[in-house]
Amino acid sequence: MTTDDDLHLNAYVDGELSADQQAEMLDAMRRDPQLARRACELANLKKQVRLAYADLPAGRTSRRDCARSPLQSLAAGVLLLVLGGLAGWGLSPAAAPGTAASPERLVVLDPEGRGQTPATAASGEMRIVFHLNNPDQTAATDLLDEVERLLIAYEAEGRPLRVEIVSHGEGLSLLRERLSVNKTKVKELAHRFPNLTFVACLNTMERLRVEQGIEVKLVPEAEVTRSGVSHVVKRQREGWSYIRV
Amino acid sequence: MRKLLVLLASVWILGAGLASTAALAEGGYGKQKVVYHINGDDAAQQKAALGNIQNHINAVGAENLDLRVVMHGNGVSMVMLPEAVGRVKNMKAGNAGPQQQAKIDNLKAQGVKFEICNNTLKGRNIDPLNDLYMVEETDIVPSGVAELAHLESQGFMYIKP
Repeated sequence: MTTDDDLHLNAYVDGELSADQQAEMLDAMRRDPQLARRACELANLKKQVRLAYADLPAGRTSRRDCARSPLQSLAAGVLLLVLGGLAGWGLSPAAAPGTAASPERLVVLDPEGRGQTPATAASGEMRIVFHLNNPDQTAATDLLDEVERLLIAYEAEGRPLRVEIVSHGEGLSLLRERLSVNKTKVKELAHRFPNLTFVACLNTMERLRVEQGIEVKLVPEAEVTRSGVSHVVKRQREGWSYIRV
Repeated sequence: MRKLLVLLASVWILGAGLASTAALAEGGYGKQKVVYHINGDDAAQQKAALGNIQNHINAVGAENLDLRVVMHGNGVSMVMLPEAVGRVKNMKAGNAGPQQQAKIDNLKAQGVKFEICNNTLKGRNIDPLNDLYMVEETDIVPSGVAELAHLESQGFMYIKP
């Protein structure tokens, strides 16, 4: 990939291209999944930077922004990037209302109003949200080990700590009954530490059902949120420390 | 009259030039506290990350930056010597060859702090003296993850390259 292409890609992600150039780029991404993935990554990066530096109005997050599997990364990139101008292009019915896999499980988060309390500085509570979208399950295994050490250390010192592990896209396998290699560990940690919450992304589950016909069954310890990415953004706004796995 | 106009114009241009220079010097990006998170062992990605950091310094100015690099898990390979790979359990890569060493030295000279997770060192039996490039005791933090969370709670911006 040449520097020119990089410039082009940046311009595309920034919405600076003409309609013709945009169409050309879309075409190129359709042919080259790697290019689509890079566009998606670039868009994500820019989004993170914007979130970090800008004071965004609340609730301006896309609810269709869960990471895709490599196969769908093209569609994902396109969806992410051309929402707006080309709204509707390539939209799958995944997010259609009324198709929720288990809507009754939504908003199970914070049953005791947790998360409504003031941010870290005021309460002295350390809050960490881990963003897991890594397809490599050993990354999840390492994460669970680290989180366990952390929870034990804070418990031993009597310091308040809250941890959420938000899994979406390919990271969802951590919480999938049939796929997770860490099921026992998830169960053990969830039962031992009430201050640890596992969160699954409903958008990812719906997409798996619509696009691949997979009915995802989650481990019983998992809570569900509509959009994993939006949830992670919300937590950062509330002052949580953010770590991507 | 024409001379006066030329004079006025030059004063105006000079003034505008000075003002914009001053704005750049004062404004720019201001002070930043940033932490880069490294936990993968891909050599190309690490090289790119070190490049990002240099670009970051170039844009913001070393004097305006408190920049940390926190390494844990496979990310410790960033400072691991290639020859240590065989003797260290569970480490597939040691990316601190001569080129990377020079980059790290260069960044350190500009005030970048490289922090290494002690949990990883213990868990993988890494000897910081023999297996890692120029790591001192003060570079070692008890837990990489806890360090990241701590720095963020202190106002550091998180970047995962």
